[in-house]
Amino acid sequence: MLAPEVRILLRKELRQLVRNRGAMLTALFLPVLIMLIVPLAQILGVNPDRPPELGFAKDSLPPGLAAVGKDPLAFMRLLLMPLVGMGGMLTPALTASYTFIAEREARTMELLVALPVRVGQILLAKLLAVLALATPVCLALLALDAGLLLARGMGSIGYVIALLVLVLSSLAFSSTTALLVSLLARDIRTSSNLNGIILTPFIFVSFAVVLLVPGVILAAAITAGMFILGTAGALLFAMRVITFERMLR
Amino acid sequence: MAEPGAFPLEVTDVIKDYPGSVRALDRVSFRIAPGERACLLGPNGAGKTTLIRLLTGALSPSYGQVRLFGLGVQHDDFLTARRRVGIVPQLPGMYRDFSVDDYLQLVRDLYGRGDIAEVVEGFGLGPYTRRPMAELSGGMQRRLSLAAALLGSPDVLLLDEPTVGLDPVAMRDVHSFLRRMMPGRTVLLCTHNLAEAEALCESAVILQQGRVVLHERIDALRQRIPALLALRAAQGPERLLAALTELGTSGRREEDAVLVPSPEPTTQAPELLRRLLAAGVDVYECRLVTPSLEQLFLDIIGAPHART
Repeated sequence: MLAPEVRILLRKELRQLVRNRGAMLTALFLPVLIMLIVPLAQILGVNPDRPPELGFAKDSLPPGLAAVGKDPLAFMRLLLMPLVGMGGMLTPALTASYTFIAEREARTMELLVALPVRVGQILLAKLLAVLALATPVCLALLALDAGLLLARGMGSIGYVIALLVLVLSSLAFSSTTALLVSLLARDIRTSSNLNGIILTPFIFVSFAVVLLVPGVILAAAITAGMFILGTAGALLFAMRVITFERMLR
Repeated sequence: MAEPGAFPLEVTDVIKDYPGSVRALDRVSFRIAPGERACLLGPNGAGKTTLIRLLTGALSPSYGQVRLFGLGVQHDDFLTARRRVGIVPQLPGMYRDFSVDDYLQLVRDLYGRGDIAEVVEGFGLGPYTRRPMAELSGGMQRRLSLAAALLGSPDVLLLDEPTVGLDPVAMRDVHSFLRRMMPGRTVLLCTHNLAEAEALCESAVILQQGRVVLHERIDALRQRIPALLALRAAQGPERLLAALTELGTSGRREEDAVLVPSPEPTTQAPELLRRLLAAGVDVYECRLVTPSLEQLFLDIIGAPHART
């Protein structure tokens, strides 16, 4: 159960986010591109009854792509995983720039800490607002992909659940790194740079896992595990090493 | 709930260290009694804003205790005590996407009480309620901060440089609001404007290099430092100084006048004047100079241009 102060602050954050067209467009554009347009092109571009012959020799492919040699649709399924992970990572990061950094840049945090709330409640409300916008967006886009995959017989229920786990873990990871970045960066430009520094290795690793780990479910589990470890690390670093007081300096 | 008999503001042995071995506050202790109107003075970097942030609960002390109505920041009921405190932050930013009305609504929701219409009328914000906060003039923004601080009918006011950056007209405007707001409330006014502190407060807490060097009533402070007689003579200040030295009295020149310490001016001034006139010094002006808070402050912090 949320404290009344957090509920009031969450309403304020959501109201400001919804009013901010720039924040909404930025938060929606990349996820729609990565999680909807590219996957739709993949899903709708392939005829499941007559999949294209890719012509790879089974032995010439890395372990993760071995399945592609016998099932051309496996490539589409493999590619969807890092795309879904990227969507989950980028949406909160972009939204957080507006809720955390814009407040810091405009020095309006001083107004909030002058009110009868704890600093932790301010940050929690902001994190929840980021999640409240990013989670439905990502889940709705994933639901569209999953519905099409299932309807066209191009993926199993297990595969869809793996994608769901991947999205949720990447959302958790991105939200905590957003908190970390908001404590470190004083302006939106620095926050964009820091987001790049933190998220890019994870994007590369999620593609590398797809290439190197045999089996879609195992690859998804390893990538999700990486996100969860990243979440714990970012959270610990943000709370223990950097501390919330940095927001006020 | 507040502790019975507790002080509204209490700082006990507080140390505040920032990363990089920066000690902002060093074993600071003071208590502000109910109804006391105190000013928090100190040179730049003395730790005033850190202290205000500790009192609001925005920062935590590295050591020691900060209590509002007897409740520390970690106490479950701390926010109940916080709702009895109105805060005017120092030059806060203003939301571009929040109107005056939106902001006051947020403040009322968090305090759980307050009459928005009353403070809007009281602070003359009526024509601006739908305007984005960032589009208000500096003076109006400060009025809004004051209105927000007062909305929850607080028992305590923490005012962090409420007039900094304002033009004289807006400053006078804020002072008149503060005079209306302060009676009956416990106030801690953090300011660099010593005339403002003197006009609005009855006691002073002076911080220097993170330490409290004084917490005393301003009138008691005045008694600690003798008044001065400002003398002017037709023969000029050099002749006047020489005559004073001959009479065994010390003085110091300040422009074309000579300042003479005088703990008992009612008896000392006539006697001194008689002796100076008898010595042939034509004193044409003798004025009592009561030490201002600024002079007291400069004396206490040992500024190079303080009185000798």
